[in-house]
Amino acid sequence: MLQLVVGQLLNGVIVGTLYAIIALGVTLTFGITGIVNFALGVFMMLGAYVTWYLTDGIGIAYPLAVPLAVACIALIGLAVDQSLFRFTRNNLINGLIVSIGLISVIVAIVLMIWTTTPQNMHYVLPGVLRLGGVVVPKMKAVVFVVLLLVILFTYGALTRTWAGRAAYAYAQNAEAAALMGIRTGVLQAGVAAYSAALAGLGGALYASLYSITPEIGSSYILKGVEAAILAGIGSVMGSFAGGIIIGVAEGVGSIFLPSAYNDAYGLVFLVLILLLRPAGLFAPR
Amino acid sequence: MKFLLAIPLFFVPLAVHDNVVLTILIFTYLVGILAVSFNLIFGFTGQLSLFHAAAFGLSAYATYLSMVHLGVSFWVGALIGVLFVTLISIAIGAICFRFKLRELYFAIVTLAFSELIRLVILNWNSFTNGSLGINFTLTPTLWVPGRGVIPVAGTIMWYYLSLAAVVAAVFAYSRIVHSWMGRCFASIRLNDALADTLGINVFRYKLVSFVAGNIGAAVAGSLYSFYISYIDPNYFSLDQSLAIIAMALLGGREFVAAPIVGALVLTALPHVINVNAEARLLIYGLILILTILLMPRGIVGLLVRRRHAA
Repeated sequence: MLQLVVGQLLNGVIVGTLYAIIALGVTLTFGITGIVNFALGVFMMLGAYVTWYLTDGIGIAYPLAVPLAVACIALIGLAVDQSLFRFTRNNLINGLIVSIGLISVIVAIVLMIWTTTPQNMHYVLPGVLRLGGVVVPKMKAVVFVVLLLVILFTYGALTRTWAGRAAYAYAQNAEAAALMGIRTGVLQAGVAAYSAALAGLGGALYASLYSITPEIGSSYILKGVEAAILAGIGSVMGSFAGGIIIGVAEGVGSIFLPSAYNDAYGLVFLVLILLLRPAGLFAPR
Repeated sequence: MKFLLAIPLFFVPLAVHDNVVLTILIFTYLVGILAVSFNLIFGFTGQLSLFHAAAFGLSAYATYLSMVHLGVSFWVGALIGVLFVTLISIAIGAICFRFKLRELYFAIVTLAFSELIRLVILNWNSFTNGSLGINFTLTPTLWVPGRGVIPVAGTIMWYYLSLAAVVAAVFAYSRIVHSWMGRCFASIRLNDALADTLGINVFRYKLVSFVAGNIGAAVAGSLYSFYISYIDPNYFSLDQSLAIIAMALLGGREFVAAPIVGALVLTALPHVINVNAEARLLIYGLILILTILLMPRGIVGLLVRRRHAA
């Protein structure tokens, strides 16, 4: 029993870091540029498909395919921001609806190219790690470490660099930031491209672990938004914790309740946090 | 006087005998009720509710299940469905508005509630038959002058029933919108902090708008499910909410009846140009994006001059 609980705990942590990478994208776009981009979920799905296509379709080695896929998704994110979201900056609901429209456009295109059949990538890194009695596939450990490093890098970049301070300044007062010499247009485009790249990375790593279907986008964006709001919009390390909390709740919860109710934990957390502590668990006071 | 525009619609079945055209119109009226009622919450009060598909589906399930388990007629069942949805939306609306959830947060929490309800419907196999859905074995009955109480069947009867329902819905919602309440809704949409300082009870009028809108969705749900004689958890899906938003935006947010134009376009489109499901999804998405960016006032908004801000 203990082994089962620990195993599910570790599984939850790994799925949770995937939620966290989407949550980080949500928190950055919403916290800094004020745009809610629900399309980050389908960016992740696209990242998974592109990685799978590059490795199994064209035959590029996986470690090379991941950065290619990430660059590809970042470019798509940038293009979408410049062609669509640039015109909805002053209206949150319009941006939300445009991103919902974008979801169906991208899902429709993916369905036309790759159909609904789940795609499975070949095993990138077979083998397991044994920690005491608990078995963890090596690839899952690699995914966790890579995502954790990226999240730490983002945190460092936001708190320790000029660009990070500029982003915080812009989030606090866009006009004053522009007057201080920050190129706000470039900053917005950069944040949009970076959060798309994060989602693309999440997808590229997801592809090495699980089956790829066109539906993963909507499930992951929902978890990502839940984690971001649970943590408090704008908190980078908080979105990591939020993702882990939801992932672990699902993993451990599935031992006691039918796994059909897995999606309910995040929803219940979300409603409770918005009612009891609307700023989020880790919001800066 | 604008209601005179609806009169020619009552004579359509006399002139048109093509079943496809009449069926498209029936679907247009039924989902039109859904879009019109959604627009009360979204277009007139400015709250993006993602609960609308859930209200639609809940009422469909409640109507059929109460007919099966309580043995009541369709009309009593529909009343039970509407009452059930009213109670649920009072509870959810009160929670959301008491805690002052706005914009994104309101959209997300209403989405969370509708997803929770969908999960329950999907997994309560013994009661709702899960993802397989239920094929209806019962039909509504109606008293028709000269023919007594007969089952509602056939295109003509459904045409008049759905047309009557949509006209009643448009009439009811335009009475609300053009009353003192409608002004309160507009002031909340334009600036709810200012509305609050002016002494408007923002909580009460947001709740009234939310509940009144969901009642329309409930009526549409009861009728629609019995027209196609089938319910499944897809009634609650995000795609359904998406279609509702697309209809309201495409028709026009500023006018009570305008979403019906959006409903007509989106219902007729797959029949006019023969496309598969993927292409339809693509078209829905493109319509949402292009409407927001290029014609935010919708089709009717393009044709009709703006009269006043509210």
